[in-house]
Amino acid sequence: MEIVFDKVTKNYGPINVLNNLDLKIEAGDFVFVTGPSGSGKSTLIKLILNQIRPSSGDVLINGVAINHLRTKSEIDKIRRKIGVVFQDYQLINDLTIEENIALSLDIVNYPQNKILSRIDEVIKLVKLQHRHFLFPSQLSGGELQRACLARALSIEPEVILADEPTGNLDAANAWNLLKIFKDINKKLKTTIIMTTHNPDFIESLDKKVIRLGKIEHGTT
Amino acid sequence: MGLLKLTFHHIRRSPFQSAIAFMTVFICFFILNFFLLINRGLSSVLNHFETKPEITIFLKDGLDQAKVESIQKELASFPEVKEIRYISKEKALSLYKDMNKDNPLLTEMVTASILPASFEVSAFNPKVLEDISQSFSTKKDIVDEIIYQKDVIESLLSWTKVIRQSGLVLIGVSIFIVFVMIFTLIGMKINNRKDEIKISRLLGASKFYVKRPFLLEGIIYGFFGSLFGFLLSFLIIYNLRPVINGFFQPIVFVSELSLFEALLLAIEVLVGIVIGLSASWMGARRYIKW
Repeated sequence: MEIVFDKVTKNYGPINVLNNLDLKIEAGDFVFVTGPSGSGKSTLIKLILNQIRPSSGDVLINGVAINHLRTKSEIDKIRRKIGVVFQDYQLINDLTIEENIALSLDIVNYPQNKILSRIDEVIKLVKLQHRHFLFPSQLSGGELQRACLARALSIEPEVILADEPTGNLDAANAWNLLKIFKDINKKLKTTIIMTTHNPDFIESLDKKVIRLGKIEHGTT
Repeated sequence: MGLLKLTFHHIRRSPFQSAIAFMTVFICFFILNFFLLINRGLSSVLNHFETKPEITIFLKDGLDQAKVESIQKELASFPEVKEIRYISKEKALSLYKDMNKDNPLLTEMVTASILPASFEVSAFNPKVLEDISQSFSTKKDIVDEIIYQKDVIESLLSWTKVIRQSGLVLIGVSIFIVFVMIFTLIGMKINNRKDEIKISRLLGASKFYVKRPFLLEGIIYGFFGSLFGFLLSFLIIYNLRPVINGFFQPIVFVSELSLFEALLLAIEVLVGIVIGLSASWMGARRYIKW
């Protein structure tokens, strides 16, 4: 999945967050998005998800300007190709981890007879065996983030958007999660766009970096 | 996670709201079915009176056979006459004795000669009886007395009309309450689960996908509420059948089980499903905005 930002500007009322941003993310890329709070990292994720629309410019996915899509069904179709890992997990609290993943698979019309085996696969991939039958409230922060990643991975997405996935984790859990992301990108060739504040992560991996900030707007 | 599983999960997560929705539909259909069965009984009562001899023309003594036959022909010439029965003096005595068989004092002094012969006339349309009554009341030379149960019929008709109209209003109000109740409860449930809906939408779920469990929930309330409402009222009425029919004897107020009850059950359940679905559909349409 190729993602292009073509002179994208986003204003929230009088506040300008993104200004004439140009960027291109190609299929299989691992991209860090970094910058201070309020620099537009989450805005960038929301624009790709079409949760919000740019004030000007276009967001193109595989050559299609998604901000011009008229019908909700077209937006839903694109979202079904994107796995999202949220900083605040966004798991449904009264469903078990397994049920949360199953719901995600059901949404993308994954074959019913393969759902259980797919859940097993992703649960093993994020090392959450013996935890999948628990509810989100019964898991630690690191486990929750891995559960969230398992849900995102389960649908075999073309791209994973990870919005500060390590923000609430201790160092050990954060590095473990980063390693899982790295392995997924390497083995499955899934495009990964991760927002982070952590400079150590960026330095540790030789990956593309999009730096956002009041001074650096549009410099990527 | 299957739709049915997810829907029952929603129902279990807010058991009191679910119970209220179910009880509302249940009570509505309990009342509805009670009314329908009472209405059916009332129709039997009306039918009984409408098909019984409604007018009795007592003849003067001493009329010859030819005169009696001419009266019968004249009666038969009225439209929509259902049955004309001639009760001779002998037959009248036999009926009188049969009616008073437990009281020999009343029968031993009575002979056929003191009882008048009569015609008992029933009609498909009670209005015809009024025409017959008017026509024969002027024939004083052959008619001794006319007994016309017009007042009974009119009173019965007006009561039946009032009961039917009240029942229809009651049903209309009940259905409206059910509709509003399910609409509101689905709205509350959607509000309780808005985070879940938002997450599902972010994962690519279509609006219809997130609406489906709520629509099915409405259908479930409609289905089970109408089914159990019917069954309870049906069981009560059919258990009390001997008592009710004994009270209305000889009219069969609660009739034997037939295909009618099965058909009624199917229609009521269908109506329940339609109400549940339409109310939840409106609720989902109104409250799911994400």
